[in-house]
Amino acid sequence: MKTYIKLILFFSLAISCTKNPIFNPGKYTLGGGVFILNEGNFRAGNGSLSFYSYDSSKIYNDLFYSVNGRPLGDVPNSMIIREEKAYIVVNNSGKIEVIDNSTLESKATISGLVSPRNLAIVNNSKAYVSSLYSDSVTIIDIFSNSITGYINLRRSSEAIIIAGNKAYISNWMGGKEIMVINTLNNQVVDSIEVGNEPESMVLDKNGRLWVLCNGGWIRENFAKLVEINIGTDQVQQEYQFPTIQASPSCLRIDSFGQTLYYLDNGVRKMDINLGKLPPTVLIPESGAFYKIAVNPANGDIFISDAGDYTQKGYVLLYKNDGTFVSKERADIIPASMCFKLRY
Amino acid sequence: MPLHGQISAWDDTIKIKEVVISGNKFISDPSGYKKTTIDSSVLFNYSSGNLSDMLSENTDIFIKSYGMGGTATPAFRGTGASHTLIDWNGIDINSPMLGQSDLSLIPVGLIDDISIYFGGASIPLNSGGIGGTINLETKPVWKRETLISMNTGMGSFGRYTGLLKVRTGNYRFQTVTKVFFQNSENNFRYLNTEISADPVWQTRTNNQVRQKGFMQEFYFRKEKNIGSVRIWYQSADRNLPASILSQQPNSGENQLDESLRTMLTYDILKGESNISLTGAWIFSRLNYFNNLASIDSRNMSEILTLKAGLQKPIGENTKLKIVLDEKSSLIRSNNYNHNESNNTATLTASVERNRGRFGTMVLLRELFNNHSILIPDFSAGLQYRLFTGKNYFIKANISRNSKIPSMNDMFWEPGGNPDLKNEYALIYEISYEMNQKISDPFNLKYDMAVFRYSIKDMIQWHPGEYSYWTADNIKTVNSTGLESSVSLDYILNNLNAALNAGYSFTKAVAGGPKIENDGSVGKQLMYIPENQFNVSFRIGFGSFYTSWMADFTGKRYITVDNSKYLPGYFINNFKTGVRLPVKSSYIDLNFNVDNLFNKNYQSIAFYPLPGRSYFIKILVQIIK
Repeated sequence: MKTYIKLILFFSLAISCTKNPIFNPGKYTLGGGVFILNEGNFRAGNGSLSFYSYDSSKIYNDLFYSVNGRPLGDVPNSMIIREEKAYIVVNNSGKIEVIDNSTLESKATISGLVSPRNLAIVNNSKAYVSSLYSDSVTIIDIFSNSITGYINLRRSSEAIIIAGNKAYISNWMGGKEIMVINTLNNQVVDSIEVGNEPESMVLDKNGRLWVLCNGGWIRENFAKLVEINIGTDQVQQEYQFPTIQASPSCLRIDSFGQTLYYLDNGVRKMDINLGKLPPTVLIPESGAFYKIAVNPANGDIFISDAGDYTQKGYVLLYKNDGTFVSKERADIIPASMCFKLRY
Repeated sequence: MPLHGQISAWDDTIKIKEVVISGNKFISDPSGYKKTTIDSSVLFNYSSGNLSDMLSENTDIFIKSYGMGGTATPAFRGTGASHTLIDWNGIDINSPMLGQSDLSLIPVGLIDDISIYFGGASIPLNSGGIGGTINLETKPVWKRETLISMNTGMGSFGRYTGLLKVRTGNYRFQTVTKVFFQNSENNFRYLNTEISADPVWQTRTNNQVRQKGFMQEFYFRKEKNIGSVRIWYQSADRNLPASILSQQPNSGENQLDESLRTMLTYDILKGESNISLTGAWIFSRLNYFNNLASIDSRNMSEILTLKAGLQKPIGENTKLKIVLDEKSSLIRSNNYNHNESNNTATLTASVERNRGRFGTMVLLRELFNNHSILIPDFSAGLQYRLFTGKNYFIKANISRNSKIPSMNDMFWEPGGNPDLKNEYALIYEISYEMNQKISDPFNLKYDMAVFRYSIKDMIQWHPGEYSYWTADNIKTVNSTGLESSVSLDYILNNLNAALNAGYSFTKAVAGGPKIENDGSVGKQLMYIPENQFNVSFRIGFGSFYTSWMADFTGKRYITVDNSKYLPGYFINNFKTGVRLPVKSSYIDLNFNVDNLFNKNYQSIAFYPLPGRSYFIKILVQIIK
């Protein structure tokens, strides 16, 4: 009997080839949790979507493929949720997948983007998308899911923060500026010089824009954490990292806008009023820490561990005080994370 | 030399008694090793094609191809692309930057003979062919005649080819000129199942190939001494298509490959001894552009190779061979910090003894790389003829072969590591071969080989301390496998038929672990099929000939933990033609259908290969 079952299994697998059994992931994603984008390897087309569920304390992998029967794409870079929709920016596929954040069904694909990186919702009708290889930010109509225009920055773009009627856009690759856009007319109105390669940004409760500049990969410049007053668009304070080898990344903030988190040989935690860089790590690095995310509801810290960057990595969960909770296997190069809060 | 003066169109070398003396004593067939030569009828079938297609459809070598005209690299017995040497008359022509060759750029029509040296058999030719060596030979035919051969073809997806060959001379001097071009739009249709819920038919874009080149050969013979001058120029201008997952605007990706290869040889035969001298200078240019990503990569390399060999009998049935090989390379690249050069010298001594039913060879090689003396390589082979006078052999060999890191592995900026050690492999192989006439019109050939490779210090790029990848000697690979092939020939009067079949099994697994809970340990390497099978049937009757070739490539894993794979594919090709003789000349009309059953398949994930395609070829050969 066992042989018979094995034979049936063999043939059904042979017929289905690379397709995994389709299941309804809705039951896993109705609760609270965090989506994890697995970048996969550049040009290998093996990017994927995972979800860590607080309800079951388990991770579910390859969800986009399971639901939609096709791969998510090449290097999914970022994801945001707006109401019932989620936007996944797939960098090397040049597209944005718009999905239902509960059923994960694809609702639309916005294509024709040049190396898109991050998406920020500007208002009820439009979003901005940054680009690694083009000189422009792309404007998206979020009703029609179409490209409606471009803002020429004359430089590449990475992180985007919307504050009132202004958008702050960092010029990461080879750059050292934050471009300021008037979101009412989509015009560049100012630029603020910060450190080399401003990689990630957050806005605190006092209206201060914190910019993490990682110094550039050739390590000729020190990394810096720069604090900008968005009332004046002037640099308020700069914190230089102590050694030229320091290459911090992935600046995050809690939901109170009070505590900063970033990666620098582990996870570091810094109160916005500390007045200096934190000298110690909260969570020492083990493996290959790649991205972090802080749960806005309870302050839990999620860390993606990319392992050797070729096989499936892990997602680590810690309490806000740095206590280890769990380690779950995600997919290849787990990276950006996006919280789905329980409503 | 392909095809002239015979009735049956696809079979020539068996019947024609030409005086073929290549003279090159670097290329040998030592006892105890596995070597196969591609049948001349196969070379004829692919005379308008490239080496990649020919090897993929007719041998055990898996070709990883980005698609029609796109980069194609070999995976031989589970090893990587840089572990297969491509030699031209015994001189390594792999790119010193990449350490590998793009087989789609080598036109089969320029080559007179192609031999495959498996595993340890590669060592007597050159160092570094851990998987094996594919030797491309261009050689003279010492006849007083003039041969003009014009070969033009056109086919699906805007493909046009042309090859003109003129050979003339006498018993002392020969000149051969070959000129070729190949243009292809490669705008084939494919079913994209990956970008939307419902599959959509799309046309491949930015996939054009423009290739042209020439080869000029001069050969001189004075008594038993032979000299030659060979020049091979070619260029390929290719647009590179994106993965079918990409929905970006056209990236304008383009690659220009240009090479000029020159070679001088002189072989002196004195009694049973001979001296071979070769000098080769190879210039290559590879420029890569990507408008979207603002990449303008310009790379040039020059290699000067000097090789001298002495072969001398020592006593009865025993030969001593000493070869000194010196290779200097210079790279100019805007991806390196400076111009970089490398100098490698090898000194090889081997003794071969054939007595009675036994044949043996022992080889020892010392490598000098820049200022370092490396651990010597060695090889030992043993062969036993099972029955006197009959071609039944058992062969065994054991070898150690080293591969010097490629210049990109050492100097690419960022991530190149100048402190890399050489990779090396221990290779064990046992094989059985037979070649026997079983009854009057039937001849049967059969061979089977089992091999084991243990590759150490394999170079792998991995994420480094900062945000870029770097090269290190971190990988170990164990590859075990089996190859078997059988061929049955039937020749009677005007009827010729041949049935060939080959099967290979390769289990190439990663050692380790490299990290905690390493999921790749013990798993099959990516893009190495465990199973490959090919079968071909050719028949010629009078002026007509037909062949059918089927090639099965098993599934290939596309993740290191083997969680995902590309399904296997079974591709059938059909060729038929008629040869109309006019005195000693002929006209040959040939019609090909590739991928007969219009199979939708990929060799590399998300890079589709074309469906059914047609090609028509006219060959006019005049001999005076």
